[in-house]
Amino acid sequence: MHLPRPGYLARKLLGVAATLFAVLTFNFLLFRILPGDPVRLLARAGNLSPEAIERLRQSFGLDQPLPAQYLIYLRNLATGDLGTSLTYRRPVTAILAERMENTLILLAAATVIVVAFGILFGVYAAARRGTRVDSGTVVTSLVFWSLPTFWVGLIFVFILGVYLRVLPISGMTTPGAHYGTPIEAIVDVSRHLVLPTLTLALVDIGQFILITRSSLIDVLTEDFILTAKAKGLSRRRVIWRHGVPNAMLPIVTATALYVSLIVGGTIQVETVFSYPGMGRLMYDAVLRRDYPVLEASFLLFAVTVIFANLASDLLYRRLDPRVRDA
Amino acid sequence: MRRTIGWRGAVVAAAATIVLAACGSSATPVPGSAAPGSPAASAEVPAPTDATGATAAPSTGAAPSDATLRVGWASEPDTMNPLTTYSTEATEVLQLIYDKLIGYGTDLKPKAELAASWETAADGLSTTYRLQPNATWSDGQPVTSEDVAYTFQTIKDDSLGSYAQWLADFVGAETPDPQTVVLRYAKPQAFDPALAIPILPKHVWSTMDAKAIQTFPNDQPVGSGPFTLGEWKKGETVTLQRNDAFWGSPAIPKEIIYVLYASEDVEAQALKNGDVDVLTEVPPTVWDGVVGAENVKAAQLPSFSFHHIGFNVSDAAGSRGNPLLRDPEIRRALSAAVDRNQLVQIALAGKGQIGSTLIPAGLAEWHLEVPPDTKLDADPEKAKSILDAAGYVDANGDGIRESKDGMPLQFRLIAIESTSVDVRAAQLFRDAAEAVGIKLDLTTMDENTLGSTVYNTDAPDWDVFVWGWDSGVPDPDYMLGVPLCSQIGGNNDVFYCDKAYDELYAQQATTLDPAARKVLVDQMQQMFYDAAPYIVMWYQDKLQAYRTDTWTGWQEIPGGILFNFTRDNYMNVAPAR
Repeated sequence: MHLPRPGYLARKLLGVAATLFAVLTFNFLLFRILPGDPVRLLARAGNLSPEAIERLRQSFGLDQPLPAQYLIYLRNLATGDLGTSLTYRRPVTAILAERMENTLILLAAATVIVVAFGILFGVYAAARRGTRVDSGTVVTSLVFWSLPTFWVGLIFVFILGVYLRVLPISGMTTPGAHYGTPIEAIVDVSRHLVLPTLTLALVDIGQFILITRSSLIDVLTEDFILTAKAKGLSRRRVIWRHGVPNAMLPIVTATALYVSLIVGGTIQVETVFSYPGMGRLMYDAVLRRDYPVLEASFLLFAVTVIFANLASDLLYRRLDPRVRDA
Repeated sequence: MRRTIGWRGAVVAAAATIVLAACGSSATPVPGSAAPGSPAASAEVPAPTDATGATAAPSTGAAPSDATLRVGWASEPDTMNPLTTYSTEATEVLQLIYDKLIGYGTDLKPKAELAASWETAADGLSTTYRLQPNATWSDGQPVTSEDVAYTFQTIKDDSLGSYAQWLADFVGAETPDPQTVVLRYAKPQAFDPALAIPILPKHVWSTMDAKAIQTFPNDQPVGSGPFTLGEWKKGETVTLQRNDAFWGSPAIPKEIIYVLYASEDVEAQALKNGDVDVLTEVPPTVWDGVVGAENVKAAQLPSFSFHHIGFNVSDAAGSRGNPLLRDPEIRRALSAAVDRNQLVQIALAGKGQIGSTLIPAGLAEWHLEVPPDTKLDADPEKAKSILDAAGYVDANGDGIRESKDGMPLQFRLIAIESTSVDVRAAQLFRDAAEAVGIKLDLTTMDENTLGSTVYNTDAPDWDVFVWGWDSGVPDPDYMLGVPLCSQIGGNNDVFYCDKAYDELYAQQATTLDPAARKVLVDQMQQMFYDAAPYIVMWYQDKLQAYRTDTWTGWQEIPGGILFNFTRDNYMNVAPAR
């Protein structure tokens, strides 16, 4: 394996740092120029005295001038302190950690299914370009891709959850369940994950099938494929050994983007299945003007996108010598 | 104070609406509602003069069970800190963890809670409460009069939370012995603040100053109520455990678990599937699917809320509202022109009662039936004659009446776009106004924007709006207190100010005799109805549903089986055989 030259990596990391800093600053400013005073929202139970409101402002540092708030923000970030949620009055890190864990559990399974089966079906279709199998796959992918997520979720709820009653329709666990063994807990959570995962997989797999198919079709017209065929290699070997690796670049990009979605959660699936993930946390935070939660979520989102991109850049170099030598 | 919830609209918007409803149901973000100087100044008062609730224990004779009551809801608490919460969900849960001195029974009459008995002095300026002798905190410490004195004094001194509004006249507490506390007020209190304020353990809270309390999550509340907090899995469930050291008869459910649903369709399905036993609110969009479902009872009950059309009558120098609306005759004509039954039937799909005065019909003993001769409703001819008599005629034949100096009767009308019932009502209102020669231009906006537009006290730039109120206590004081002069800058959303009305308000707030108070309350309702700064459109019903095959004994009462001012349904429902 060729390791990237140190110079390259250093340049990349410097770029990452600069991007991060820009994101931090933008993030900070964005939520402070938005209309709507968060303290007013907190005081909406009404009848808070002016002293109580002032005290609230102080306890969240909102009484300071903007530059001072910015310095405090940077200092706290450096120590890993993301602030206190205006809504829940708890440290943001704790809230984010819970939600991230839930979202990761949900999306890990979905990502594996979507990427693995997406590639598989895409290759299958591309290898049979122009046949009925191919056009059937393309049409099906397009249909799934364009289905509204919440609608697919509801259909699953009604068929598998209500009509057949084989699977739970909401939440992460059975409310009030007391587990005898860890196995029971795992089984319970897994059962709850089936419908949301299925929904995500169905809706998102289409794009991977289509990207894989078109990328591979391009590659299969290249001269080196002809050469490989001429050498008498098996069809399977031509496709998997010579075709697929060369068609991977767009797939890697799409996967990197898809993985960064994990942080944002998937608000529609989380809503239909009442799943306590990042998407709903962020959505609630917007409506409640919970700046600390929003800032931290956006930061996390930005960091994930930046690093997913960095990872895909590095992977590119591994996959494609042309990129490496450029 | 609390703004009403908007009923949610389309399924497609489920994600959005749920959260909106979540915010809405607690109270809308109303900029200005807590403006300086506004705290509902005279809170009110009074109370049961001398109830001897004796043992108070809720009891139906059924034995405590091992069963779990599962409640489905669409929004979760914000915090377990009763002094900072602004969500109705937290209030609901906390009323099971903390006791008040006096609670409400299923008849919504005061009944003994932490105070076994109480007695108000003849001058009405103090009340002596005797505490339940065996009351303990959930950490094992005894509940004493010091706790009560600490709670009231701290809320008053540090102006904590929305409870401070009830203690405007509070002057101090005495603790002659550990079981007895005397609360003193500058004026008699027709609404006893003891009905509203949860008693907190001094040994836990007194270690914090006011600022520390602001950020105190209270994750492990120490209370004296019938339940303790088991676990709060944020975004999923809140679990309460029966408090076996509770001073009264123990609750029948061993555990209550609140399950959060983010989709209304799925929430309704969960009830039908038997995943939960009761829903705290059934959205109208799924109501028909719940009614008639097997083993499910849908409960449509009167509430303590209304939706209204409000007119900007501000005479502030900076007001940009149309000055014509300061003429009560125009407002009265509009009140007469609109058909409230049509509003209920069409906009609200029949899920409520026709509106009239400030006090919802659900508060039956205080609500005034407006006498027929002063009634303004569904009478366009009367509207026209009021306008004719006041000199507003259509001189130029364009279909819109003008004032004597030629100003057309044309006003801006705003409503919250996500509250579909309000938008529909605004459309019907616009048509009714047009039929009598008044033109309304309807615009919709989001709730935050409408709030900041309406509550722009110094320079309100609007004419007419549609919104609503929930009463925070089952007492007329709450609603009557909205349009006071002193609430301009506070809750008064129409800038109405009538010194005579304020005078009556102050009187009723200190009148302990219910019959005498009712006379004053009626007078105020009539006065406000006649002046018509509000057109109260309807009193919407509370829509809830429960399974009949899991728990029995639900008391269907005004205000709802849950999310009401009484906690007795939680105590007394029993597992079905």
